[in-house]
Amino acid sequence: MSERTRVRAERFGAIAELVRPRALVFVDRAFARRLGVESEGWKADPTGDGALGARPLSAPIEAHLQLTNRCDAGCQGCYTGATPHGAPGEWGPVEWKRAIDHLAARGVFHLALGGGESAILPWLGEVAAHARARGVTPNLTTSGLAGLDALVSIAHLFGQINVSMDGIGPAYAAVRGSDRFAEADRAIRRLRAVKREIGINVVVTRVNFADLDEIIRYARRRRLNEVELLRFKPAGRGAATFAGLTCSDAQHRAFWPTVARAARRHRIRIRVDCSYTPMLVHHRLDRKLLERLAVYGCIAGDFLVGARANGSLSACSFAPVAPGRPKLDELESYWEREGAFGPFRTWREADEPCRSCEYLTLCRGGCKAVALHVEGDATRPDPECPRVVDFRRGRPGRIRLPVAI
Amino acid sequence: MMAPRGRILATRFGLNPNSSSLGVDVTFLLVGAAALSIFTPVIGALLRLKRREPAGE
Repeated sequence: MSERTRVRAERFGAIAELVRPRALVFVDRAFARRLGVESEGWKADPTGDGALGARPLSAPIEAHLQLTNRCDAGCQGCYTGATPHGAPGEWGPVEWKRAIDHLAARGVFHLALGGGESAILPWLGEVAAHARARGVTPNLTTSGLAGLDALVSIAHLFGQINVSMDGIGPAYAAVRGSDRFAEADRAIRRLRAVKREIGINVVVTRVNFADLDEIIRYARRRRLNEVELLRFKPAGRGAATFAGLTCSDAQHRAFWPTVARAARRHRIRIRVDCSYTPMLVHHRLDRKLLERLAVYGCIAGDFLVGARANGSLSACSFAPVAPGRPKLDELESYWEREGAFGPFRTWREADEPCRSCEYLTLCRGGCKAVALHVEGDATRPDPECPRVVDFRRGRPGRIRLPVAI
Repeated sequence: MMAPRGRILATRFGLNPNSSSLGVDVTFLLVGAAALSIFTPVIGALLRLKRREPAGE
């Protein structure tokens, strides 16, 4: 694998990829020039220098590809509603490799491959190797419940592999609806035996919130390199189970202190998904630090895009197919189109209480998938954001003091 | 006159395997801005040491 730095010009300067340590670095124009990058567009736009976030990127940094919607696990909260039969018109390796060529030409850095259960695809390794050859790093999420033998043999092709693990022992069944903890645990152990970059994805629900510390301890015990915490989303079968599984308001407010304590206690890297940004900024974390870590809320249709198993383009995996129903390999022409990705790019026109929130340019109104489901309108503020909850209870401006962890 | 050195605006660490959202490593939220201030020049130096390979080519 090449370890040369890949650099992509942007309006604000450039994005450069580091392999060791793994990082995407956003730099201004002067720094970009020192890396040998120059853009014709900079002269005509002198105010854009360093203005990260002022406009959408020139292309996503990451694409989330649902390679198939086939999966027999039948999890009650599956956000894609995966079935053993998959979706009509699913793409095969030829179409995905062509789309990866297109993404590579646009300067996309990373892929997150998922499903369904992509590990069952006999051509998964072929697609991952193709991405590698194009300079795009493929990463993978798997349930660990199918296709494990084949996956172990191609694990080296991926940058990071995470196994879905929403609870330890019987708690796994309480969240996912079937008792397959032992199988998922076996998959983690087998993958970890051949690769260091193995982690777990944990969908946080009101059922397993109290077990987060135990789950993170489990990851440490299995010598995993990260835990990624995901907010429950009302998509696919998750739409029907959302009301019963989404965290309570009290749990959302306790999320950051809980995670911070567990990270310190167990000394393991923890990642939180973009939809948790409202729950982070609720604790008035250092705004400058959040900016420097590029911690954003909804960056769908900007930093990331999704693609369904039939190649249909969406702002993110939870979003409806983009207006005009473009395919992933039409990304270049669609990206600059007026109204592209509909409500996912209109966060600057947010309603209160987002409009007056000092974190709006970072949080961007929270998760639009949740707003769409609960409010019927993706442009509305995230209804689970503590600030929004307080505003609607008639307590606007309630402020949490910084929490000492 | 020397060319301006430029600055690092932001750094996203790690790889995101999750195909449904973009996760962020919160380690530096725990250790704070001071630790990041120490780490950022190292990142800058590493970037400059590497030969450039434009993305998209």
